[in-house]
Amino acid sequence: MTLAEDAAILPAGIAWGLLLGFGVLWVLLGWYLGRNNRTAVDHMLAGRNVGLALATATAMATWVTANTTMTAPQLALQLGVWGMFGYSLGALGLILFAPMARRIRELMPNGFTSGDFIRLRFGTFTWRVFLVVSLIYAFGWLVSLAMAGGVLINALAGIDYRVGMTVILTVCVLYTLLGGLRAVIGTDFVQTIIIILGVSFIAWLTIDRVGFEAIHFNLLEERPELLNLLFPAAIMFLFNNLLFGVGEIFHSNVWWSRAFAFGRQVGFRAYLLAGLLWLPIPIVAGFVALATPALGINVPVADMVGPLVAAEILGLTGAIVVFIVVFAALASSLDSLLAATSDLVTRDLYRGHFRPQASQQQLYRATKIIVVLLGLLTWLAASYRGELPIIGSLAAVLYFTGAFVASAIWPVVAGLYWRRTNPAGAAWSMILGSGLGLFSYFAIGFYVAALVGAAVSLAVLLLFTWAAPRDFDWGRLAEVDPDGDDGNARGRDPMDTAPVYPTAASRTPDPHNPGCGPLPNGGAR
Amino acid sequence: MTLSVEALAVVVVIATGVATVAPIVLLTLFIRDWKRGRLW
Repeated sequence: MTLAEDAAILPAGIAWGLLLGFGVLWVLLGWYLGRNNRTAVDHMLAGRNVGLALATATAMATWVTANTTMTAPQLALQLGVWGMFGYSLGALGLILFAPMARRIRELMPNGFTSGDFIRLRFGTFTWRVFLVVSLIYAFGWLVSLAMAGGVLINALAGIDYRVGMTVILTVCVLYTLLGGLRAVIGTDFVQTIIIILGVSFIAWLTIDRVGFEAIHFNLLEERPELLNLLFPAAIMFLFNNLLFGVGEIFHSNVWWSRAFAFGRQVGFRAYLLAGLLWLPIPIVAGFVALATPALGINVPVADMVGPLVAAEILGLTGAIVVFIVVFAALASSLDSLLAATSDLVTRDLYRGHFRPQASQQQLYRATKIIVVLLGLLTWLAASYRGELPIIGSLAAVLYFTGAFVASAIWPVVAGLYWRRTNPAGAAWSMILGSGLGLFSYFAIGFYVAALVGAAVSLAVLLLFTWAAPRDFDWGRLAEVDPDGDDGNARGRDPMDTAPVYPTAASRTPDPHNPGCGPLPNGGAR
Repeated sequence: MTLSVEALAVVVVIATGVATVAPIVLLTLFIRDWKRGRLW
C-alpha cells in the first residue's frame, strides 16, 4: 500500500519539516499546560472547571477527525450532495449530548468516567459488560486513527506507512503523557483553529477559481447522480451515519470525561455550540470533491480527492495546507482518545478491579504508564494492518465497532433519564445487541451492524424493564468522592443491600467520608 | 430530483461562511474567558 514518492503531492522533505515542527510544538505546549499537574484529578479532568472557549474547541476538534477532512470529500465524490450532508449530521451527536452533559454534571458532580456512571447506576455485572463494549470501541478507534495517520502521510508525502504512523502516535503519546487532559484541551484549541481555517481557505478558493456554474454544469454532464436528491444509497448512508455518530458520543468516555471536566454551567453550551459550529465542516470539506469533473482531475483513490483538488487549485501551498490540516485533525482525536481511554483503564480496570485502595499518587503514576502502554498496543495493532483478519482497512475497523457502539446507546440514555430501567436489562441489551449486530456484520454486511445492534438493544431493554421495572435513587450517582476515593470502586448492584465485592472501605464506613459506606437501605437515600 | 445550481451555491456559501466565522467565535470566547479568569 506504500505509494511511490513521485506519486505523492508533497515533497517528503517538506512533510518531515512540518511533522517535526508541529510535533515539537504540540509536545512543548502539552508540557507547558500540564506543568502544574500534581494529582490524578488534575491529569484526568484538568481541574473540573474548563471554560466555554476551550470546552467548545475541544469538543469540535475531537469530532473533526482525519475521517472528516478526508472522508467527507470521498463521500461527496461517491454519494454526491447527500454524502456531505449526511456526514454533517454527525453534528447531531454533539447537539443531543448537550443536555446529557448538563445532566451528567448535575447527577455526578464528582464523577470521573462513563464507567463510574454505569457502575453506580446499574451495578457490577452491567459495568463489566459496558467496559468490554467501551474498550473494544476505544481500541478500535485508536487503531483506526493510527492507521489513518500512516496511510495519509504515506499518500500525501510518500513517507513509509509505519514511519508516519509511528511519528504521529509518538507525538500524541508524549504530550498526553506530559500534560494529561489539560494538554489535550489546550492543543485542541489551536488545532481547531488550524483545521477550520484550512478547510475554509480551500473551499473559498475552489468557489473563486472554479465557480458554482462550472461545477454544476460539469457534474450534470459527467456525474449527474451526485446531484440527485433521491440517491437511495446516499439516503441509507445518512441514517447509518447518524446512528453511528450518536452511539459513539453517547457512550464513549471521550465525551463523558469532558462533561466531568467542563465547568458546571459550561457543558450544555459547549456541546451545543460545538455541534452547531461542526455542522458545516463536512460540507465545506466535502464540497471541493464536486469540483473534480470541472477541474478534469483523475482520482485514482477516492479518499485522496480532497488533497488532489487542493493541490490542483493551490499547487504546493494547497498540499501543505492539507497536510497541516490532516495532522491537526489526527492529533486532536488521537490525544483525546488516549487520555479518555487511559482514564477508563486506570479508574475502572486498575483501581476498580485490581487496586481498589490505590492512592492518588499511585493512580497518577498508573495513568501515565497506561497512556504509554495504550500507545504501544495501538502501534502494534496498526503495524499489522492487513495481516490480521479484522484490521484490514480503516473502514473495516470502524464498522466492526459499530455493533458495540450502537448497543450502548439505549442503556446510557435510559440510565440517565428513566428511573425504572432494569439493570440486568441494560447488561443484556449490550450483550445481545453487540452479539446480533456482529452476526449481521458478518452474515449481511457492515452497513447493518449498527442498525441491528441498536434495534436489538432497545427491544431487550424495553422487555426487561417492562417485565421487571426497578426503582433507583438518583442521589446514588453523587457518591463518587471528589478525589476519586469513593471507597467502593468495585461497585455494587444498586438494588442489593451489600456490596457485591466488599472492600475494606465499604465494609467500614469512613468517618471522614460518610457517603462511602454501604447504605442500610441498599443505596436509596 | 436534481439539486439546482442556486441551491448548491446557497448551501455551500452558508456552510463556508459559518465555518469561516467559527474561529472568530472561538477566539472571542477565549479572550472573554481569559479576561474573566475562566479559561480553566
